[in-house]
Amino acid sequence: MSFERIKPHFPWITLLVLVLLVGIANPSFFDPAGLLSLVSDVVPLFIMALGMTFAIYIGGIDLSVQQMANLVTVIATVYLANFGIGVALIAVAAGFIIGAFSGFVTTRLYVPSFVSTLAMGFVALSAAKYLSGQRALYMDAELRDASFGWMFGRTAGVPHELVIALVLLAIAWFLQTRTTFGRALKAVGSGELAAVASGLNVDRVKILAFAISGVFAAIAGLIFSVKLSGGDANLANGFLLLAIVAVLVGGTPLTGGVGGVVNTAIGTLIVMVIRAAMVYLEIDATQQQMVFGIVLIAAIALTIDRSKLRGVVK
Amino acid sequence: MYELRQVDKHFPGVHALKAVDFKVNRHEIVGLVGENGAGKSTLMKVIYGAYQPDGGDITIDGTVVRFQNPRQAMNHGIGMVFQEQSLILNLTVMENIFLGYEQQFVKFGVIDWKAMAQAAKRQLAKVKLDIDPATTTSDLSFAQRQLVELAKVLTLEERIDGDLVILLDEPTSVLAKEEVELLFGLVRDLTKRASFIFVSHRMDEVLELSDRIYVMKDGAVVDVVAHDEAEVDAIQHKMVGREVDKEYYREQKQKPYDAGTVLVGFDKVSCGRRYSDISFDLHPGEVLCLVGTEGSGREAILRTIFGLDSPTAGTVTIKGEPVTRFAAQGGVSRGVGYIPRERKIEGIVAGMNVYENMTLSQMGNYSSGGVLKVGEEKSLARAWIERLGIKTPDVYKDCGGLSGGNQQKVVLAKWRSGGADIMLLDHPTRGLDIGAKEDVYEMIREMSDAGVGIILVADTLEEAIGLSHTILVIKDGAFQKRFDGTPGAKPTLYDLVHHMI
Repeated sequence: MSFERIKPHFPWITLLVLVLLVGIANPSFFDPAGLLSLVSDVVPLFIMALGMTFAIYIGGIDLSVQQMANLVTVIATVYLANFGIGVALIAVAAGFIIGAFSGFVTTRLYVPSFVSTLAMGFVALSAAKYLSGQRALYMDAELRDASFGWMFGRTAGVPHELVIALVLLAIAWFLQTRTTFGRALKAVGSGELAAVASGLNVDRVKILAFAISGVFAAIAGLIFSVKLSGGDANLANGFLLLAIVAVLVGGTPLTGGVGGVVNTAIGTLIVMVIRAAMVYLEIDATQQQMVFGIVLIAAIALTIDRSKLRGVVK
Repeated sequence: MYELRQVDKHFPGVHALKAVDFKVNRHEIVGLVGENGAGKSTLMKVIYGAYQPDGGDITIDGTVVRFQNPRQAMNHGIGMVFQEQSLILNLTVMENIFLGYEQQFVKFGVIDWKAMAQAAKRQLAKVKLDIDPATTTSDLSFAQRQLVELAKVLTLEERIDGDLVILLDEPTSVLAKEEVELLFGLVRDLTKRASFIFVSHRMDEVLELSDRIYVMKDGAVVDVVAHDEAEVDAIQHKMVGREVDKEYYREQKQKPYDAGTVLVGFDKVSCGRRYSDISFDLHPGEVLCLVGTEGSGREAILRTIFGLDSPTAGTVTIKGEPVTRFAAQGGVSRGVGYIPRERKIEGIVAGMNVYENMTLSQMGNYSSGGVLKVGEEKSLARAWIERLGIKTPDVYKDCGGLSGGNQQKVVLAKWRSGGADIMLLDHPTRGLDIGAKEDVYEMIREMSDAGVGIILVADTLEEAIGLSHTILVIKDGAFQKRFDGTPGAKPTLYDLVHHMI
């Protein structure tokens, strides 16, 4: 069987092999309670990666997600007292606007998305610093529980965070596979010129993809903020690399068009298992990004569709 | 000296070169003519090493050689002067001439610019170009760049032992009359240094310059004519080959169109430098063919109607409404369907299956509130697979994996099922085998019967003549002549060629 044929199955096979390896080396990995808490821990990252999937699926990338989440942690903490649960709306709106703006810059001003989103990321970071006065802010525990306490309970042993993640996955999956928007995303990712020649409004599709990425990053930031009960312009640092790794090892290549949100769920689990393995192997936290950097390069090299690159990589 | 014996080349679905024998003697200029798709480019690519033949031999002075890439061919004295100029515009002339071969001027790790300039001067003298080798290439005129390109190829003379063969691909297409004469004088002069293979659409030039002329058709050499025996008419007849087959183009099915209604109206429309002052009307049931050479502006006219290019002057009316905003979405909503030349890039989306491709331009009809009705999509796809005889195992097949003819049918189904009644066909039969071509012709007749207005940019002139009600000849973006294509009174190939070039 050729590599091209097993390529789509690569992610889950990788996940299975990694789980088995880690499990054999350390049987306590299979302890259900431990597994559940591992999975809940990875929820904010997963949501961010879910949004990122949309940007990568159309052949772009969103480098602003981490700063977007940082900004939202600050917004949520600062405005919780004024708006209560309403900060969720503000957060989502902020994500949508910043994402849509990146999309606008990419499609209408012809700035490649890696630059436009990087720049918008710094705008978000700066806004977060300004809003927080460069201090770590804390939420009032009572207010937090009143508005967002529901996020962290358990029902029948299932953490609510996990339920939120699954609901968002279901929404994203529905968007991707069942709507005209999702179909348009696929067309733009697989063959943008054909999408244009079919009369699709490609610019609008792209702008929406970046807006969705922004919204998911904002939701991730909100959950993270509530979880840690505070906000800080650096709170979500370290998420960006992991989110990109999750999308790519999941099997959505940088060239877009294939893969999708379910792949990202698998990719996030792979990241989770690698992270757990590094804990067992006692790899120092400072070295973990090194490992993920290498994993990222390997994932890109394995997944990228070279026929779309036309020989030029800069 | 340089010879191809029984050279064969296949591409998926296409037999591009069929047992081609080709020979270049020392100090000779060999002409190569043929219609688009006759195999000229493939043959040239084999000669300069970009393609490897699947069968037959390439020999130089009787020794069999095999080139893996153009550089190896160059090392055997085969040089190519590209139609699309291969000079890098922001480098100086001398840097371009010695690009990739700077090592000879390196002293202690740095380039000795003086030595390079002197060497470049010597090369430029060969082509009688008196310019400073340190000039930035973009400052040169197009004709001068062409000569620099030639000078660059002539550096082979010093680099290798043995004879040179230089390919000139459409070298005159952008040159003015006197520049052409200059170039020809030069080439004749240079035959004491090299042999030339001259490829051009302009028959008179090929006749004037070449010692012998190879005529290609459908991937085979159909004739070799010596300079003294060459006649334009006879060669053109050979290029086209058989008598135009009326059955083949379904001429018996050509019916008069409805001249009372106008689907698309062009009134003195111009689009930048691509075309200017074009006027015509397209009627229901009419097949209107735009004829001209590559780059004459035919494709740009199609793109304007579809909404991809905005005109700079004039009025475009579609179904009586003047078009004010040019965007593909508008074109689609006005009932315009577009079958682009680049089928695999602009026609189908590879990676998407049959039904996804068919509904791509009309997702609104197969969804409610933005949610797709996949069941209806599939039954649409099944109906059209049946109707057009699309060969696919099922509706889930990735369109990228279908054969060219079936891909084209999927694109056609996409527009027809969406109710498009203005169809723009850009080389719809390019790269298809005969059977698939006939299917496309059949579909064109069917659409025409159904009252669809069709604008066609055909792959060959025969196709244009055979299929069309009306032919507009366009040259360098300007209208030349209109021909009526009623069966029995169709223009001949020579009528058209005369106005094209």
